[in-house]
Parts: sequence; C-alpha cells; structure tokens
Amino acid sequence: MTTTDTHTAVDGAAPAQRVTEEDLARQARRKELTSRWFWRILSYVAVLTVWEFALLDIFSFLRGSPLDPKLLPGPSEVVATFFEIWGEGTMPAAFQATLTRIAVGFGLSFLIGAMIGILMQSKWFEGFFKDAVLISLSAPGLIWVLITAIIFGNRPLGPTIAIILTTFALVTVNVSEGIRALPKELLDMAKSFRVSVLKRNRQIVIPHLAPYLFTGLRFGFSIAWKVTVLTEVFSSSEGIGFEMRISAVLFDMSEFLTWILAFFFFALFLEKVVLEAIERRYFRWRQAVTAT
Amino acid sequence: MTVTETRPGAAAGSRPAPNPAQRLISIPAKIAKSPHSARVLFPIAMFAVWLLSLMAVEEIWPFAVDVLPTPSEVGAFMWDEFITDTLARKNLYETFFISLRRLLSGFAIAMVLGTALGLAMGLSRATNAFCHDWTMAILAMPALAWALFNSIIFGFDDRGPILTVILAGIPFVIVNVREGVRNTPRELFDMARSFQVPQSKVIRHVLVPSLMPFMFAAARYCFSIGWKGLVIAEVFGGQDGAGWTIKFWYDAHRAHGVVGYAAFFVIFAILFERLVFEPISRRAFRWRPQLRTEVVEEAFGEHHEHYGEDEPARHG
Repeated sequence: MTTTDTHTAVDGAAPAQRVTEEDLARQARRKELTSRWFWRILSYVAVLTVWEFALLDIFSFLRGSPLDPKLLPGPSEVVATFFEIWGEGTMPAAFQATLTRIAVGFGLSFLIGAMIGILMQSKWFEGFFKDAVLISLSAPGLIWVLITAIIFGNRPLGPTIAIILTTFALVTVNVSEGIRALPKELLDMAKSFRVSVLKRNRQIVIPHLAPYLFTGLRFGFSIAWKVTVLTEVFSSSEGIGFEMRISAVLFDMSEFLTWILAFFFFALFLEKVVLEAIERRYFRWRQAVTAT
Repeated sequence: MTVTETRPGAAAGSRPAPNPAQRLISIPAKIAKSPHSARVLFPIAMFAVWLLSLMAVEEIWPFAVDVLPTPSEVGAFMWDEFITDTLARKNLYETFFISLRRLLSGFAIAMVLGTALGLAMGLSRATNAFCHDWTMAILAMPALAWALFNSIIFGFDDRGPILTVILAGIPFVIVNVREGVRNTPRELFDMARSFQVPQSKVIRHVLVPSLMPFMFAAARYCFSIGWKGLVIAEVFGGQDGAGWTIKFWYDAHRAHGVVGYAAFFVIFAILFERLVFEPISRRAFRWRPQLRTEVVEEAFGEHHEHYGEDEPARHG
C-alpha cells in the first residue's frame, strides 16, 4: 500500500503528497487501534453479560442438573460482596498476611535460585543441580505444600520452604539462560588479565545477567503468589488462601469469588504494571534485551 | 554440552602420555570433576541432608520427631505401595491410571479447543483483540481457584477435575499456537502459490512443519500444567486419583505416606518426560537436529512467548 503511495508522490506535487502519506499511515494506525479497542471492549461486555445472565444455565447444562443460583453469583453480586467485605475491614489484614509471606518466601527463593544459577556456570555444579531444577519445575507445588504442612504444621517456616522449592528453579533457569548468552570474549579477556573471580562476577556477569534476573523475578512471582495462596489453604489461619477455604467450605460462592478475584487483580497489577514499569525504567539503555 | 565436555578429554588423549602412575592418580580426580558424577552425587547429598536434619531435630526438639519421616519408613511405604499392599482405597496403579485418564481427556479437549482458538487468533486481528485479555486472565488464574470452584459446582465427580485440567492448560495451547501461526514463513506460502502447489500439499509441507515446534511446546506445557492443576482438583473435588490419595495420607497424618506419594508424583512426571515427550520430540524434529535441544529446554521455562523471536537469531 505504501509503495503505491510513493509512486503517486513522485507523480504529483511533492510537499502535498508527503503529508497525505504520513496521514494515511497515521490513519491506518488509528483505524487499527480503534478496531482493536472496539473488539476488546466488546469482549468485556460480552463476557460479563454471559457471566451475569447465562453462565448459570451453561453450568447447569454441563452438570446435567439445575444449579442453585447461590452457587454461581454474577459479577454485580461479587462487586456488592467486595464492598461488604471491604466495609468489615478484614481485607487489608488478609492481604498483608499473604503479601508478607510472598515477600519472605519469594525473596529467599530468588536469592537461592540466582545463586544456584550463577554456580551453574561451572559444568560440575550444572550436573549437581540439574535434577533439582528438573524436579522443582515438573513436580506439582501441591506436594511441597503438603510435605511442609505435615512437618511444620502452622509454623511460618513451612510455607516459606514450600515457596522456595516451587519457585527457585524458575529463577535458576533464567539465570543459566543468561549465562549461556554471556559475552565469552569479555570473560576470556578478564581471565587472561587475571581479574579475580569476585571482580569478574561483579563487573561482567551480574550486569549482563540483570535483565534475565528480572525475567526470572516476574515469572517467579507469578508462580509464587499462587503457591502462597495454596499453602494458606492447608497450613494457615490468616491470608487469602485461608479466607478462600473458609468461604468454599461454607459454600459461600460470592465471598469465595470476591476473595480470589480481589487478590488476582492485585497480583496482576503488581506483575504486569509495577514490575514491568520498573523493568522498563531500569533497562531503557538496553532495549534489545528487554524486548524479551 | 556433551561436545564441549569431550573436547578436553580428547585433547588430553592426543597429548604425549604421562607416565602410567601419574595417569592412575589422575583418574579419580577426573571422575570427581565430571558433571555426571556430580549428578549422581546430588541425591546422595540430599539423603545426607535428610539424615543430618533428622539428627539435628532429634537433638533440639525430641518431641517433634515422630512427625518426621525417616528414610526407612518412606522406603518401606513406597515398597508396600509398589507391590500394591496399601491401606488406601485404591492401589498405586489404579490411582495413577484414574488420574491419567482424567488428565488425558482434559488434555485432549484443551488441545483441540486451544488449537482452534489459537489459529483463529493468529489469523484474525479482531479475534485476537477479543480473546487476548481473557486468555491472559485464565492463564494467570491459580489452578486452586478453578479446583475449588469446580468442586463446588460439580461435586465429587470426574467432570470437575477434567474441567480444571482444561482451564489450566488451554491458555498455554492458545498462546503457543498463535505464536506459531504468526511465525509461519510468509515467503514459502507465496512461493508455493506462485508455483501452484496444491493447497493440501502446502498445509502438509509448509504449515504443519512450521507449526510443529509450537504445537509440541503447547502440548508439553498443557500436559505439565494440567497435571499440576489436576492433583489440586482431586484434593478438593475427588474421591479417588493421585491428588485424593496424597490428601488421604495427609489427613491420616502419615508423614512418610505424604513424602512417599510425593516421590511417586516426581517419578511419574520424569517417566512421562523420558518415555513420552523425549521420543516424540526426537521423532518430530529429526529433520531439524539443531532445534531439538532448544525446544526441549524452552518447554520448561515459562518464557515460551519470546521463543519464536529468539529462535532465528540464535541459529542464524
């Protein structure tokens, strides 16, 4: 399309045509953007409408018997329940409990995972930790949650260990990926000039790894909050997971949906908005790598 | 990896040999330094950590020790399960068979629906705009939420766990297939059209091979995420299956049962990886040997989304 435009530009009066060409490009972009937003908003309207009015029938059909409307509240009821719970004032405390647990557990997990990833530069340690990473990635988080819950009971150490065991490998995988892409020439040069191991790690390896660490942070967080909620279901008396379990046991679906959706949006906000904004800010200077 | 490993060894072999005594001494050192022996050392080290922490706990809190599983207890439990001498309602093989059946039905439905949706989203901008946010929302939802929700809706039934598998796995299929469609080589299609290659041949020789690595990654993700979702669903909304059984030992407060069953979970996942996915990937990617290892590794990290962009750059 643009090529035909340039042809006409050559034929006609140059300055006027140049403007139209730019205009055309802008117009096309605007048109695409409008259509994208149109479909997007339509999807929100459609999904919320189906949820409010038709989801009950769909699930009754899937189930083969009519479903009690109380078991599947619509979005309007969930929003109403949200304000009700917010009014009771229990929500900030539950959020705080869960977030503290995530911060402690995932913070440690990130440090351990990154350390193992850096150790895996050496072939020997790569062999040593290979199976640990494989097991952590492929085993369901549930098993760590149950094992730590039965051993540690309600002590805070249990969830922390479960979070570490489920998420450290995600950080390790990203770090070792970064290590595979290390600038070999720089390291060779540093080695031949006898730069010490510590200095080499601090000044070459870690700056190079920073974007990979960040990716590990984001992926790790997305798994960490889910595992944290799961640990709270089994071995806690506060937090989002605990509230979810209580409302599920009481068959109070609107409260259940409110708790999970509230924390879901909060976690998504942290993951997609806050972390990504920080990442963009810190790695503005190396666009090519952050593009991943 | 293996290539770089063997290189120093080969270089050492071609060098003029040192005297035999020196060589004898260097053999244990070489074995100790090899990554394979490190790999063997890992379970041994973990076993030592286990025993040491048992001893430490016995020393510090003697009253807590009856909760902690000892290796011999876990070993005896696993052996009993292995020869189907169990206290649970179903033996090990029946249990995993039930779970596997649920997993495979959910997996099949998720693959079919997800491929259809992924193709539609890759081909049409409007469909993509319509479905993108909801795919991402389902992707980010914890399996626990689906599991509890489905257990309340469907009760103790096969449908709850199966629906959980579908919901947990489908976004990964959609995302991967969409990436695959976006990465199909346009030039090859244009060329096929200008040489008037029939449509069926184009699909077989151009579209399918270029979608293959993405489909494979999708299947692998869907399977492993589906398995993780399934066990949680069985904990809350099942009356049999692997998840239910580990919860059974948990409720019975048998720590060795929980640890032993967890070990079966790990063995199950690794067996599946070795016996199913690795042979398939070897067969499917025989024609592009350099890609094979990459795809296998990409399947594990969560960074599938940029895999399509990385790939050409890495292989030049």
